[in-house]
Amino acid sequence: MTIRRFVVALVGMSVLLGGGPPAPSAQEMTEQFIPVGQSPGLSGKYTVIGKLQSVNAREQICSVASAVGIVNAKITERTKIWLDRSLLRQPNVKGTIADLKPGLTVEVKPEGHQSGAPSGPAEWIKVQVAASP
Amino acid sequence: MRPRELVSTARVVLCAVVALSGCKTVSPPADRLSQLIAKGRDLFFNETFAGNGRTCGTCHPAENNFTIDPAFIATLPKDNPLFVAEFNPDLKENFENPALMREFGLILENLDGFDDLKNKFVMRGVPHTLGLRTSVQSPGGPRTGWSGDGAPGDGSLRSFATGAVIQHFTKTLNRIPGVDFRLPTGEELDALEAFQLSLGRQQDLALPLRLKGTVPKRGQEIFLDNKLGKCNICHVNAGATANFPGRGSLGNANFNTGVEDLPDQPARLTGKRVPPDDGFRSPGDGTFNIPPLVEAADTGPFFHNNAIETIEGAVGFYDGEAFNNSPAGQALAKIDPNGKGIELDGTQIVAIAAFLRVINVLENIRQSIELLETSRAVSSTERAGLLARAARETDDSIRVLRGGGLHAEAVAHLREARRLEDKAVRSLFFGRRYAQEAIREQKKARAFLVE
Repeated sequence: MTIRRFVVALVGMSVLLGGGPPAPSAQEMTEQFIPVGQSPGLSGKYTVIGKLQSVNAREQICSVASAVGIVNAKITERTKIWLDRSLLRQPNVKGTIADLKPGLTVEVKPEGHQSGAPSGPAEWIKVQVAASP
Repeated sequence: MRPRELVSTARVVLCAVVALSGCKTVSPPADRLSQLIAKGRDLFFNETFAGNGRTCGTCHPAENNFTIDPAFIATLPKDNPLFVAEFNPDLKENFENPALMREFGLILENLDGFDDLKNKFVMRGVPHTLGLRTSVQSPGGPRTGWSGDGAPGDGSLRSFATGAVIQHFTKTLNRIPGVDFRLPTGEELDALEAFQLSLGRQQDLALPLRLKGTVPKRGQEIFLDNKLGKCNICHVNAGATANFPGRGSLGNANFNTGVEDLPDQPARLTGKRVPPDDGFRSPGDGTFNIPPLVEAADTGPFFHNNAIETIEGAVGFYDGEAFNNSPAGQALAKIDPNGKGIELDGTQIVAIAAFLRVINVLENIRQSIELLETSRAVSSTERAGLLARAARETDDSIRVLRGGGLHAEAVAHLREARRLEDKAVRSLFFGRRYAQEAIREQKKARAFLVE
């Protein structure tokens, strides 16, 4: 094996090993109707569930206190926010950053498909509504 | 009953009496996967998830190759849950389009969101669920449904049922979990996935096959010729994976093949509102997922919008302007020495279709034989169901070959197999023997198709 081939193989291996699982091709539209903590294959694996600690509307960042520690989720123009009203037996609806209030239970799905991502852009955020907002 | 059969019957009765006197009713324990598949089968066909009455099998019935088409729909009673929009007032508006369902087998999907149900929807055919083990995986993650993004959660086949329940099983358009339906549990998703993965082929073909028919053989050559048919580029081994020159294996990839740009699409000819379908993701990128071709000939209509009824028409699509002007057609033209996408003549289109018909029948024969063999090893209660499935596969084989004017000798043997399968169902004592004879006829039919 030449040095060049070795380097190419090494780079290839690191990409494969460091790349993690592939990003999913999930259909986000029905995701809206799935209650917090019940998203198949995601909840508990690739999402963070916890209490909203603070929301920085200017920076568009919210902090979530979860079992793995504090997670800072960046809300981008792509981030979908849904209000999970299933506990109230009402339809889940779209929400906005204004619905993110400290103390509420939320589930945050980071962009991509990486587990244990401490912080970063959020793909979606579900806000559990336990009483009529 | 002839004297010889009478004597045989008496022997069987005697043996049965002797055997039953000492038998135990406990069956050997099935392994865990078999149990999971059996549970999944039960859920697939019987579980309504506390919704509007539909099950997975409503749109993916086993008796119609796990898909629906207008001919099958026409046989259903009007209170079948498929037609729930016709008799449930809560689902009358914006849940389905009954006219398009009955005429073209189209189902309504809200793939771009549920906030404007009147205007934001697409009309899609129902893909079969055969050979999923060969068609879901992709380097970009699992791909499910027509546009590859059919499942919520992690996008996997396991998660697909959750999205289907929300979209298709709901009692009202509020879609409240625990009120309008219940979501499948993790165990149920495991079982449903195991069942679906057990359906149909478990591996891809290894082309070329040593086909005997002159036209199907030529069709296979054209199919595999990357300068002529170019079919094998996006349907490697007539499956659902792509191997694009210069890009290597792409797995179960998505392409924009221009189906949406076809003129005179049947559903749109009705004048009913059929919004454009933008495919993968929301907003979509216009791409759709590669379906496997082995199962194609008996699972039409074709493409995500059921735009084309016949397999010949589906092959012919790739010779047309909609495909050749599409991003996929242009990509093929770029790698062609003469800058062409796909150009085929009528005889070549029919030859490719003949090849697809033959590989479909070979798969049907494989399944029939498997079902007949299994039927010989189970109780009479289970046997009837397996024989009925084998008979349906045989019916498909006959229909597919006759539809293309192919292999008349093979059709004759398949007809005989079909007759024997019927006899096996009806016979109290000789079911196994007739099943064995049907297997022999299936093998004779196969010998006319391939070496």
